[in-house]
This record gives sequence, structure tokens and C-alpha cells, in this order.
Amino acid sequence: MRDTAARYSSLAILSIAFVCGILVRDFRAAAAAEPPRVELNADNIGPRPLEDLTSKSVPRDYAFAWQTMEQALEENRPGLLEAYFTGLAKQDLIQRVNSQIKSGLHTHYEDRGHKLEALFYSPAGDAIQLRDRAQLDVQVLDGGKVIYDEPMTLQYVVIMTPGADRWLVREMQTTTGEKP
Amino acid sequence: MRTLTTGFALLLAALGASASEIHPPAQATAGTAITIATSGSGSASFYLIGPASASKRQVQAGSDISVDSEQLEHAGRYTAILCASDGCASASFVVNPAAPNRLSFLVHPSRVPVDSPNRISAVAFVFDNFHNLVLQPESVTFSILPKDGKEVSARRNSENGVAWVRLSSARKEGATRLGTAIGHANEIRVVQQVAADACNLRIRASRTKRDLLVETDPVRDCSGNSVPDGTVVSFTKVDGAGKTTVDVPIKRGVAKVEMPVEGRARITVASGVVTGNELEVAGAQ
Repeated sequence: MRDTAARYSSLAILSIAFVCGILVRDFRAAAAAEPPRVELNADNIGPRPLEDLTSKSVPRDYAFAWQTMEQALEENRPGLLEAYFTGLAKQDLIQRVNSQIKSGLHTHYEDRGHKLEALFYSPAGDAIQLRDRAQLDVQVLDGGKVIYDEPMTLQYVVIMTPGADRWLVREMQTTTGEKP
Repeated sequence: MRTLTTGFALLLAALGASASEIHPPAQATAGTAITIATSGSGSASFYLIGPASASKRQVQAGSDISVDSEQLEHAGRYTAILCASDGCASASFVVNPAAPNRLSFLVHPSRVPVDSPNRISAVAFVFDNFHNLVLQPESVTFSILPKDGKEVSARRNSENGVAWVRLSSARKEGATRLGTAIGHANEIRVVQQVAADACNLRIRASRTKRDLLVETDPVRDCSGNSVPDGTVVSFTKVDGAGKTTVDVPIKRGVAKVEMPVEGRARITVASGVVTGNELEVAGAQ
């Protein structure tokens, strides 16, 4: 009798653990489906002031750019980079994904948010330069094995240019974190 | 005693087999090869993750690892990872841009009215040979190269890789070249300067067989440049029949129209926001 009870208890615990595992996985997948949090500070921008609509669309499109980049690097799908990247930024990231495929690597990001500071908005409104302070947890996996796992705060200098219906990331370069 | 000896031997072995470590330089320059020192022993996997690459190769832990210049052309953060039998060790380093040697030059607009103060904007992005944005301040030269005039140039320091300047258009119409230069790199863009709005718009009237011919003097801007053909001039007539407006494009420098007139008439002319003189005429009756 006691053996049967113990067996049922073990089965119940295993079932709960399994369901919890599925819930955690689904929660993480749902979290990845959301673009990361991006805050824009345009107090010191020049020489052109940022228009209201642009001050909303730039952080929105930058967040989508990060979301698609993280997904592209995790799932090794270079095609995802077409939507929010252009020019050298797109070329470099496609190259990165292709080399990950070649080496059997994946990169997983836990994105804890971005603080954007607008630095320069060209007088003609055809380019905007931003500094991003990104808080990330980065994991690099070789097959299924985690070979690198580190939380980090990175600083990027970003140039975005307007596309047909959105702002596109044209240049994205990590800096040392110090203001040059 | 035997147990003690065995324990001592195991301790020595454990101390001897230190964990693998990896020591890249803290900073490197784009397009320059580096050597990464490692410690440990045995076969290991070396990974180098950069902004545009992720590579893997087999190395011997404890030996130096050479990284080619081609693998370090992109400025940014790189992570070097060494995985041996005792686990993985990693270290990050930064690749800085090389010397500035490329420019990306944006000039707006491509057509501009003459004599417009600060109407042209010129923006230069400073890059190195590998298309990395050079963030250190650099002196960028902007030049105006008129077709038949003296070159004028000004220097601006780049900030975060960007230098810019506002320019005024010349008083004379025609194409002008704008240039920017840094190191061995230079870029040229052409801006077409066109006549501005009409100035001193004047009309005169003469009789034809049936109507009144109203025509402008040659239409010029305030600097004496001919306003381009196709620019619309509006003639407005107010007479006994009411008010009539006729829009006429300039052809060969002038705009003209034939209008029937009943009784006394007042004729005015305008082009864009510019108005000209008024004529008071009497009709044929």
C-alpha cells in the first residue's frame, strides 16, 4: 500500500516538473516574441530637432531590429535580418550568422533593455546617430553545449536611416564603453 | 605510509594540471593580426566570436594562438573562448577602428535656389579602410569647387564619426561641386543651383487685331539669373465681364497671354509669392 502511494507521489512530482518545464519554456518563448524595452533620450540631439513621430518610430524600430537580430543569431536564420537592417550592418550580421552555421554555433540573448541617447540628426533628416547602452545576458552554444555565458553591459554607436515605412539600422558598432 | 605517499602524489598531480586560461590583448586595431596566449595542456577548441564572424578551430592549450588580420577587420567587441577537457575559459577584447581613410558624404538638396543662406547641408561620416566608423575626433575638410571661381574650404572636427556643415548657395546659377576630404580619401557631390523666385516682375500690354496681348519682360531672379522655362506666371484681369486668371508657363524667358477685354480692365501679374506691376487698359469698344 505504502509502495503504491510512493509510486503515485513520484509520478505526480514528475508530472508537475514536466508541466513546469513546459510552462517555463513557453514563457521564455513568449518573452522572446516581445521586442526588448528601449528608452530614447533625445535631449542633446542636434542639429535638427527630433520630430514627435520620429521620436516614437526610432525606438520602436530599433527594438524590432534587436528582436530580429537576436532571433537570427539564436536560430541561425540570416533572412530575418532583411527587415530592420541595411547596408554594412546587415552585411556584417549575415556574415556572422553564416559563420555560426559553418561552425555549428548559436548565440542566445536575454535582453534586459536598451537606453538610447540620440547624438546627431542630420539637417536633411536622412540619418540619425544614437548611442545605445544595452544590458544583455549572452550565451554562446556549440551544438547544445554552453561554452560561454555572461551578463554584460555593452555600448553601441548606431546609425539609422529611413526606409520606405521604417527606420533601418545601417551601422552598429560596439565601443569600449568610454565616450570617445 | 603508502596511503600518505599516494595522497601526496595525487595532490602534486592536481596542482600540476592547472585549468586552461586564455589571455588576449585588451585592445587591438582593426586589420592587425594578434597572438593570444593560453595556458593549460592538451587538445582544446578555440572559438573567436566577433561582430561579423564566429569561428572554431582545434588548438593545443598552453600554446600561443595566432589570429589573422582578416579575422579582425570589424571594430567592436570580440570574445575568445578556449574549451579544453577541464572546461571553458573566456576573455573579451576590443578591436578599435584603424586610421580614417574613407568617407561617406551626404549632401542635400541636389537642386537649390541661388543666394539661399544655409540651405545646403553636407554631412560626412568618417570610416577606416574596413568601413568601421572612426569615433575619435578627426579633422574633415569641406570644400566648394565652383566651375569658374576660387575654391573655398573649411575644416570641421568630427564628433562620434560625424562632421557636418551648412552652406549657402552662390548668387549665380549653375552646377557647383562640393567636396569633403580626410587623409587620402575624398568625395565629391554636385549641386545644381537654379534661379530663385522671380524678382521685379513686369508686364506690358499691346493690341492685337481682336484682343490684348499681355507679356512679361524677361523673367529673372533678384541676382539676374533667368527663371527657368516652365515656371508658371499668373495673369489676372478684372473688367466688366468679371475676374479671370490665366496661368502661363514661361517660354524662352518670357510669359505671354492674349486676353479679350471689355471696357476698362485692370491686369495684374504674379509668379509664386511674387507680384508684379499693374496695368490699367481700356477695351476695344
